[in-house]
Amino acid sequence: MLQVEAVVKSFDDFKAVNEASLSVGKGEIVAVIGPNGAGKTTLFNLITGQLKPDRGKVIFKGEDISELPPYEICKKGVARSFQIVNIFPRLNVFRNVQVAVLSQQRRSNNLFQPAKNMVVKETNNILESVGFLDKAHSIAGSLSHGDQKILEIAIALGNEPELLILDEPTAGMSPEETSATMELIRRLAQMRGLTILFCEHDMDVVFSIAQSIMVMHQGRTLIQGKPDEVRRNQVVQEAYLGVD
Amino acid sequence: MDFSAFSSQFLVGLSRAMILFVVCAGLSFVLGVLRVPNIAHGSLYMIGAFATFTLTKLIAGSTGFWIALIVAPLLVALVSLIAERALFCHLYQREHLMLLLFTFAISLILGDLVKIVWGAEYRSVAAPALLKGTISILGVSLPRYNLFLIIIGPLVAIALWLFTNKTRIGKISRAAAVDREMVGTLGINVSWVFAIAFIIGCYLAGLGGALIAPTVSITLGMDHTLIIEAFLIVTIGGLGNMWGALVGSLIFGVTQSLGVLFWPQFAIVFPYAAVVIVLLLRPKGLLKSVW
Amino acid sequence: MRGKEERKLFNEVIRSKLFGPSIVIFFVLLILPSFIPRFYTYILALIYVTSLLAMSLNLVVGHGGMFQFHHAAFYGVGAYTVALMLTKTSLPMWTGFIAGPIVAAIIGLIIGWFCVRLTRLYFAMLQISLGSLIWAIVFRWYSFTGGDDGIHGIRMPAFLFSLKSSYYFILIFLVISLIMMYLILKSPFGNTLQAIRDNPQRCEAIGINVRRHQLKAIVIATFFAGVAGVLFVVLERSVFTDLLFWVLSLEVFIMCLLGGWFTFAGPILGAAIIVALRTFVGIFTEYWTLILGIILIPLIFFLPEGVMGYFQEIFKGRTKEVAERR
Repeated sequence: MLQVEAVVKSFDDFKAVNEASLSVGKGEIVAVIGPNGAGKTTLFNLITGQLKPDRGKVIFKGEDISELPPYEICKKGVARSFQIVNIFPRLNVFRNVQVAVLSQQRRSNNLFQPAKNMVVKETNNILESVGFLDKAHSIAGSLSHGDQKILEIAIALGNEPELLILDEPTAGMSPEETSATMELIRRLAQMRGLTILFCEHDMDVVFSIAQSIMVMHQGRTLIQGKPDEVRRNQVVQEAYLGVD
Repeated sequence: MDFSAFSSQFLVGLSRAMILFVVCAGLSFVLGVLRVPNIAHGSLYMIGAFATFTLTKLIAGSTGFWIALIVAPLLVALVSLIAERALFCHLYQREHLMLLLFTFAISLILGDLVKIVWGAEYRSVAAPALLKGTISILGVSLPRYNLFLIIIGPLVAIALWLFTNKTRIGKISRAAAVDREMVGTLGINVSWVFAIAFIIGCYLAGLGGALIAPTVSITLGMDHTLIIEAFLIVTIGGLGNMWGALVGSLIFGVTQSLGVLFWPQFAIVFPYAAVVIVLLLRPKGLLKSVW
Repeated sequence: MRGKEERKLFNEVIRSKLFGPSIVIFFVLLILPSFIPRFYTYILALIYVTSLLAMSLNLVVGHGGMFQFHHAAFYGVGAYTVALMLTKTSLPMWTGFIAGPIVAAIIGLIIGWFCVRLTRLYFAMLQISLGSLIWAIVFRWYSFTGGDDGIHGIRMPAFLFSLKSSYYFILIFLVISLIMMYLILKSPFGNTLQAIRDNPQRCEAIGINVRRHQLKAIVIATFFAGVAGVLFVVLERSVFTDLLFWVLSLEVFIMCLLGGWFTFAGPILGAAIIVALRTFVGIFTEYWTLILGIILIPLIFFLPEGVMGYFQEIFKGRTKEVAERR
């Protein structure tokens, strides 16, 4: 479904991503791991259009999306959550998700109908699936950190994506929250037939849920393969797992 | 096209650009080091012009002007020192938008204070005897006063350059412009550095006002027309960049005077059009900005 | 299907909290001119015009988060358009009234198109430069626009002959405009605009073409600024270059700040306060701007949410207390 072919991205002289490649098949759950500064978030930004690659290509469902702006890529079926919480703090939870749903249904430009009554069913549907129905009227900025990260995911779901990209979805969460969130992600993937690409630091999380793992080091792809393969790989162990 | 008319207008434009440069260098300096968009800068310029008027009235003859040229900017600097210690130094951490609105409020207050002290009539100042009349350079005639301005401009530029590159305080100001927190951690009393930078910027505004006094009628409202020109110039030059202020001033001053030559009625439109063209092509300014 | 949606809309308006008090206020304002001196009628009408201008600015500033620093340019364009059409052409007068907002919106589209591609600071500077260019042209084009002197004694259609009828005309169009703006802000368009204000990056990631959306908001806001310009001419029967000058733009900005730019009606309050102060302080002293400056300073630092925002916070705080006590 998603093919990243040897992308390169430099900032001034610093090569943040230096020939990284990635392959994500339909319905898979793929993880990207690597130490801090390996270039994971930059890679995600290249995929979702916040950055354009200097070299290399990003191909989604057979189409080259390397040069498209983020909103076009979103419309093709890719949604994402951000590593640093990126919600709409002044709006309540319901409106946070509603904005995404309205965008998905191309109704953002509707000028004279009150938005309060629009797409309520679809929005509540999403809120229910992440367990936020009771929090619908809380102001997003007042939620706990863990809840805000889940709201991130809920907003992304508003776009009815085929590919859901999650940038460190459990960062800053307690162990209970982490396993609850990963369980939620697994359930959502199954219920909605999502393909999931995520990156994480927590190795337990990664190895418990990912079907394919790509290892990054200093901007480069070391290897991509099934969890067992990766675990056994010499280079990976030296560069990353051993040090951990 | 008459070459001598063209070059004489060009030189007039150059001299007007020098006054703009003096004012804009001050504005740019304050903007770069302190991150304060000081709308009251125009009011200080106006106060400099009015103060020059009063000093030339008090001290008769040409010496009046020369003394005013020295004293008026110092008076403006004193006023701004008081304002800085009393108000501004507490506000450097605030959001830029709030600072902008704050300096706008100050400019309203200063504008009316000028009205209270000097009244609403037009004032004028005569140029000193030494600089009256015209001089001929290579067959081109130019008012002596304008020649004086063309010399003063680069002197100010050099002085400012020496300050920011050769003196300790100047170098600290430059560093503070780029990284304020870093300078604070070096154990330097940032507060006094900022005060001095602010005073210098305001001094230049007053100097600009004193310099322009013999060439225009001194009126209320000159603060408002000037400050917009100054902000536009500083933007097209690159925020916080002194050479940018010079480039911007040259563009503004020369296009206006050449405009007088080609289409006198719309002379003032030319510099604004030039600014628009520059900003459309290079929205961040022509030279590197500190922001 | 259409009927059902229209009924939903109607119910929405009726049930909104503002509806009851608004009807009462509207009725009071309607009958007021019969009871108060002519001068106060004039001041009220001036407040209406200024409020509309401030509300139009707040669409893009308070609700859209954009640095629209030269909004007066569009107001002035609207005013000058109707003035020029009424004095220089023999076209029917209503065409001038309609042309005003449309020309303002077209200029808004052109200027906005260049500005939305820039970040806030440079957005502001480009807009200031373009607005100042317009000002400079109008200022100098003496033969066409009256230049420095402006245009005075503009003849209005017969039904607008008296101050009272102008007052009603202005009030009606103010109310229509306010209703439209309210609906726009509550619509998906408005919600999305506020989301863009809070987090443009996130909006891009959920499929919104942020620049295009902002541009549409600018066109709407400048359209209403043009309406305000036309209403100004109806009231004053003249135009002058100050309507296009940057000082007015900053004043309108301050009205939004003063009233509260995250609230709906804040700008109306801000405009009312400034116009009232200017008029009544102006009676006692010619140094009204000094007073304004002095008032502004504590306001900027102690009431960042404006007067109305401040009261809203208190109100919210009290209702929360009541709810918690239950």
